[in-house]
Amino acid sequence: MRAIDHHAWTNRWRDRHPLEKLLPAFTLLLLTLFLPPLTTGPLVLIGMALATVWGAGVPVRAFVSVMTIPAAFLLAGAPFLAISVNFVDGFSVQLAPAGGWLALETTVRALAAVSCLAFLTLTTPLTDWAPLLRRLGTPASVVELMLLMYRLIFVFAERALTGQQAQAARLGYARFDRSLHSTGLLAGNLFQRALDRAQRLERGLAARGYTGELRVLTPERPLSWPHLATVMTLVGGIGLLGGLLREWL
Amino acid sequence: MHITEGFLPPLHAAAWTAVALPFVIVSAWRVNRLMQDQPQTKLLLAAAGAFAFLISSLKLPSVTGSCSHATGTGLGAILFGPAVMALLGTLVLLFQALLLAHGGITTLGANVFSMAIVGPWVAYTVLRSTQWLGASLALSVFLAAMLGDWATYLTTAGQLALAFPDPVSGITGSFLKFAGVFAPTQLPLAVVEGLLTVVIVNFLREYSGEELQSLQFLRPALATETRT
Repeated sequence: MRAIDHHAWTNRWRDRHPLEKLLPAFTLLLLTLFLPPLTTGPLVLIGMALATVWGAGVPVRAFVSVMTIPAAFLLAGAPFLAISVNFVDGFSVQLAPAGGWLALETTVRALAAVSCLAFLTLTTPLTDWAPLLRRLGTPASVVELMLLMYRLIFVFAERALTGQQAQAARLGYARFDRSLHSTGLLAGNLFQRALDRAQRLERGLAARGYTGELRVLTPERPLSWPHLATVMTLVGGIGLLGGLLREWL
Repeated sequence: MHITEGFLPPLHAAAWTAVALPFVIVSAWRVNRLMQDQPQTKLLLAAAGAFAFLISSLKLPSVTGSCSHATGTGLGAILFGPAVMALLGTLVLLFQALLLAHGGITTLGANVFSMAIVGPWVAYTVLRSTQWLGASLALSVFLAAMLGDWATYLTTAGQLALAFPDPVSGITGSFLKFAGVFAPTQLPLAVVEGLLTVVIVNFLREYSGEELQSLQFLRPALATETRT
């Protein structure tokens, strides 16, 4: 998680206006869902991989590792789209007609969609989402809650990691029952610390005249229309090509 | 159990978003009002949300050898109540999508419905009803967390079945298919999570009475239980 966040903050496109990343990624995501997946999917996947690795300068390894977990889920689930079970006269399993296509299409579509998400996680830090969420009508305080959560997650994650190392060093994860016990203690401890931390933050803020609004300075990043136009043309090209290839093949 | 981005057809993704949205909006509205009445609750809720995120990424000791993750829905519902969990759970799922590319944005609605709405409500109902029947706290916490997980997993299987009905045996067949595929991992995992939740709640009852009291405004019931 920290590696992903690190790339999100340090990649080459970090200082681009968030819209220049969010708009193309979301458009591609929608195109993936609606256009024929077998032709559009690979194009989107390649496009997003290139944008992440070549454009934003994120290491290939990071991109691949982000894609691994969802890919594993797909590999576990998709084959079962291809088979069909019958309960009417006894129990029988057979290959479903056109099931193979469905499985293939779904896998390709999902992989392409995940690549859009991977691009976003690796190039856009969570704080950059805040303006978009506000624009979508999320109450300001809920957005603020999100940003606070984001900050605290990393604070607590460090605690959790340290605790886990300490427990492991004391053979806390040597047996199944020990690991269950250790995990429980760790979580309970984390909860205590979390609430304690919240209380201290609260007092600190109250002493500074907190009235329910945290003011932060957002760095101004100009929206580059030429860049956005170029990117959206490429996105449109991918969509068009995906649709046309389907016709030709 | 997250449904991966892009796995659901667009229509299903949109429908599940529409189903989940009212719950989340009501929850957001309530939380928003809580935060306006008492500004300091914002920090408490943020800490609770961050905690829920980390719990959901805790590696569970797994019987089968592979590592799996807890869901934290049961614990969340027990500590913060299902009404608040709808928003906190949604935020956690959104964070998992945006920070880890785990789950997804188009499938967020479906995942919110199974993990932030059905799971917590089942867990909470089980907790309340077993308490009312006079079960010990450990037993009801165990049942609540485990059944909450099972409900989540069955809901996910149902969502997948509706999206991909079996050509021969229809939605029922498809449901059994998906439920069967994930049963070997999900059923024992839920038991482990149930046990883990008992360990956590016992620890909290012993050492964090004060902190639990501070959550009283979210869920009055638990505080009275823990005032032993």
